[in-house]
Amino acid sequence: MHSRLNRRTFLKSTSLIALGATAPALLRQTAHAIEGRGNERILVVIQLSGGNDGINTVVPFNDEGYAKHRPKLKLNADRLIKVSDDVALHPSMKAAAELLDDGRFAVVQGVGYPNPNRSHDVSMAIWQTARFDPEEHKTFGWIGRAADERPAPADGSPHAMLIGTESPPIALRGRRSTTAALAHLGDLRLSAGAAIATVPTGGTRDELLSFASQTTADSRATAQLLEHLNAQGGDASGYPESELSKRLRSVSQLIKAGFSTPVYYAIQSGYDTHAAQSATHSRLLRELSAAMRAFLQDLQAARLSERVLVLCFSEFGRRVSENASLGTDHGTAGPVFVAGEAIHAGLFGETPNLSDLDGDDLKMQFDFRQVYATILDDWLGVASTSILGGTFEPLKLTSSCSRETAVPRPA
Amino acid sequence: MPATTASLLAPWQPTPDEPWNLRRVVHLHRRAGFGATWDEIQRDLADCHQAAIERVLKPQPRSDADEFNSLSAIIADAAAGSGDVDRLKAWWLYRLLLGGDALGEKLTLMWHNHFATSYAKVGDVELMRRQNDLFREFARRPFGELLRRTLTDPALLIWLDAASNRKEHPNENLARESMELFALGVGNYSEDDVREAARALTGWSVHNGSSRFRDADHDTGEKTIFGQRGNWTGDDFVKMLFEHPATARRVAFRLCDAFMGETTATTALIEELAGGLREHDLDIGWGVETLLRSEAFFAEENIGNRVLPPIDYVIGALRSLEMNSPPPGTLLLAEVAANLGQNLFEPPNVFGWPGGRSWLTTRTVIGRANFVASLLHGDLHIPTSPFDAAAFAAGKSFTSPEGWAALYGRLLLGREKLPEEFAHHMENPDRLVAALLVSPHAQLA
Repeated sequence: MHSRLNRRTFLKSTSLIALGATAPALLRQTAHAIEGRGNERILVVIQLSGGNDGINTVVPFNDEGYAKHRPKLKLNADRLIKVSDDVALHPSMKAAAELLDDGRFAVVQGVGYPNPNRSHDVSMAIWQTARFDPEEHKTFGWIGRAADERPAPADGSPHAMLIGTESPPIALRGRRSTTAALAHLGDLRLSAGAAIATVPTGGTRDELLSFASQTTADSRATAQLLEHLNAQGGDASGYPESELSKRLRSVSQLIKAGFSTPVYYAIQSGYDTHAAQSATHSRLLRELSAAMRAFLQDLQAARLSERVLVLCFSEFGRRVSENASLGTDHGTAGPVFVAGEAIHAGLFGETPNLSDLDGDDLKMQFDFRQVYATILDDWLGVASTSILGGTFEPLKLTSSCSRETAVPRPA
Repeated sequence: MPATTASLLAPWQPTPDEPWNLRRVVHLHRRAGFGATWDEIQRDLADCHQAAIERVLKPQPRSDADEFNSLSAIIADAAAGSGDVDRLKAWWLYRLLLGGDALGEKLTLMWHNHFATSYAKVGDVELMRRQNDLFREFARRPFGELLRRTLTDPALLIWLDAASNRKEHPNENLARESMELFALGVGNYSEDDVREAARALTGWSVHNGSSRFRDADHDTGEKTIFGQRGNWTGDDFVKMLFEHPATARRVAFRLCDAFMGETTATTALIEELAGGLREHDLDIGWGVETLLRSEAFFAEENIGNRVLPPIDYVIGALRSLEMNSPPPGTLLLAEVAANLGQNLFEPPNVFGWPGGRSWLTTRTVIGRANFVASLLHGDLHIPTSPFDAAAFAAGKSFTSPEGWAALYGRLLLGREKLPEEFAHHMENPDRLVAALLVSPHAQLA
């Protein structure tokens, strides 16, 4: 057996020039490049997979229809966290309520789209691509399209990163933009003796081989960048024990390490609560709220929080009426959360009316593309019209706009 | 299937332009199985293509098949008894590494992906094992039989909340996924069909690890499914699924998804295969055989146009380098596969693994490189057993740099001639093998 390659020697010996035609923007990186970082805005998307039961998340507890439709699943009014005279958060969302008190958490109520689809797959594709034609569900995502419109991150960071073990969602796929996926920073470390040789296949007409070569080159570049930025483990205290929490902590580490990636994406699964939903739903909302709060606190301590906006969405809400198995089936509109220092906290839109339904479902108040338009135009600074395939009235979610739409929480 | 000039499924015949050669031998073994050894490649090259395909389709039982199967059963029993799902993953890897019917295992994996059921919710190792054996047993049978058996499989019923689907208020999960994913595909049913089918399926549940039908929970009222009115039961619904014209297309899609590449699993091919399946009672074995013998399968553009899934990549490397016997630590290997994105018995959701290009990400590319390093260093074997590329080649009578290039280029990439870009590794066979396995070329097949 040939002696193991020393990894550092390897990285040095296969210098960036050897990357040839497949070299990503990392070529431009120098040791000084990271000093110029620091002001780019960052979007962190948390996808709540499975269809979150919005009614038991942001609860219209004063609505007579609530007890009628949810005889067994209704939450005890005494334990709810009141946000207004009509609306309360699930008791497990204490951490989110603290953020709300702090002016860092907003709820957009009744978000959906016309002619809702109840298939997880199709509805998720609609939310991720902002397109309704199934043919377009395999092409590009709304974030990928936005990334295509922006200049590449200066230091060769990927345009977007999925933090998790899942496959990168279509939301991140763009024509030119690059996506990395990792569960934690250790995933980007080559073990002793491991090497990714670069193979110049730039001239090939084989499109799939080009893809594999590019992905290989990008992976190596991201690994090198991590090495270069010398990301540290950082302080884990303050983060609760959950998968989502670990992922958001990784996001924080990457931001602190100086990656210029503008979009991070994490997935929290388990919201498909057809049966015995109470305990599961409660746990998920607790993990979500606590992870989000820990993440924002961590960034605040690092003086990075004004750069970060968090968006939480789910592919649909659930049916208004509970089913016989102490669960709920696929529904339509539901709440979207936005969190961060730069937002207008509070509630957006009317409290859903459980007596004025569309069939068995909640009526939607906002098109999800209005939320996207707001984030694209006001936060990421990319004109939303072409990305969303139309013009959508923005909401006043970020503090560059007037505050009047949000209803602050009563003292 | 009548062989017409327009038929994509006509049996492929070698031509001077598309000969039966190394490239196609390797292609056959990678797609229909998990790669071939050097001796298998040489044997099939010397033989005619029909005989080689026949061996893949209907493998001769290994000489020690009884021993293998009883050992496999003992391992599975022990895994189920331990309640540790990781040991069940290790058991399947053991079968993948050493089983004599690679195509059978590949089809088992395909049905696991199709009826994607996760231990994460089922929580019962024995039930996961029984479902896996069910897929293996029915892998080549008419789809109706497989569907009927799977829809009453205890693990699947738990996975899709059947137990809570009762007449007072049906739970739609099983009905919806049966239509959207298992049989028809999106667009071939309405929301009303989902609700009504859920009523027909009421009463099926799991009791003490077995599926059972409870009359008291079944809704005996009239339902309208696919426009037909009647007092339909779950069995009636399964029959409707089986008879629905869209089901053949869904099965054809699944087969093409499993055996064809990204540019060659075309609508035209799926339609043609679906038509044939309808004429053959949706016989999966017929579909697999027809596809694997076809013009479309052996066409030049269908070679190397598919990203290797993690299991194929890992098992393929071990098999071609003959590092599968004695097998590496299979618990360790299951962990590797999971880290690369394919956690057996725990698909990400009801849609199974998204597959295709999504297998290759920053994380998994680095993970694959780390896997190759530990494999070649022998770290996956207990005791540690490094791969010696020069000795391995000498065993096949290749002893020079040119010989190493020829051997490993053929074995690992299926190419007669080592691509230029690897030439600088020729002097060092260990480094050559590592570079080839990690290369972009080796991620495709």
